[in-house]
Amino acid sequence: MRNLLGLFLVLAILVIIPTVDHAFAAGDEPGEYLDRRVLIWNLFFRMMTVAFTVGAVVSGTMIWLCWRFRESHPKATPTEYERSGDFGGSA
Amino acid sequence: MGGHSNWPEWIYVGVIIALMFWVGAEAWNVERLVEHVPADAEVIKVTGAQWFWTFEHEDGTKEVGTLHVEAGKAYKFEIYSTDVNHSFNIHDYVVLMDAVPGRVNTVWFAPDKAGEHDIQCREYCGLIHYNMRGKLVVEEPST
Repeated sequence: MRNLLGLFLVLAILVIIPTVDHAFAAGDEPGEYLDRRVLIWNLFFRMMTVAFTVGAVVSGTMIWLCWRFRESHPKATPTEYERSGDFGGSA
Repeated sequence: MGGHSNWPEWIYVGVIIALMFWVGAEAWNVERLVEHVPADAEVIKVTGAQWFWTFEHEDGTKEVGTLHVEAGKAYKFEIYSTDVNHSFNIHDYVVLMDAVPGRVNTVWFAPDKAGEHDIQCREYCGLIHYNMRGKLVVEEPST
């Protein structure tokens, strides 16, 4: 089942998505006059907004995780593994 | 992980998947719009060769290095290459398409006002690639 899912994913990326894209992206019907500069640069700025927002959230989360779960945090509690003191080493 | 709640992870995964769908849909929609050529677009054959551009209008007029078009009209470029890969770029109008030997690639644009714009090869194509430039001259509409 997992193999099938993997195969389907690979096929989708290699074949199905490009085919669907090709079939629908540029249809036979004539297009309208439009300013590609506006469309393309607007898309660029929207994508950059998303990229920077996601970047800020992800890096902010990681910084908060490091700050909150540091050993010296006042509310830090050792995990069960740490509390046991048995780290498996022979020395 | 017994008793461990992982709903924040699922929310995170859901948000990422939703964002990826949104990004894909936006990009796909813009691509669909800019690839639809207007019915009355004039076809211009663009040929890249080391290291200059030649242009052939529908009426057979040929130009080398400088392309004259009219504002307010749509133009569809059919892009050819006679030797190596080039890339046809009119930066000011966000026109960019590869010129590949044995292939015809198309891209269209509609200049909106008179002026002069640079044309430049954007695929390294040999010694004088840096100087494989041209000029786009957009003239006032004739009619």
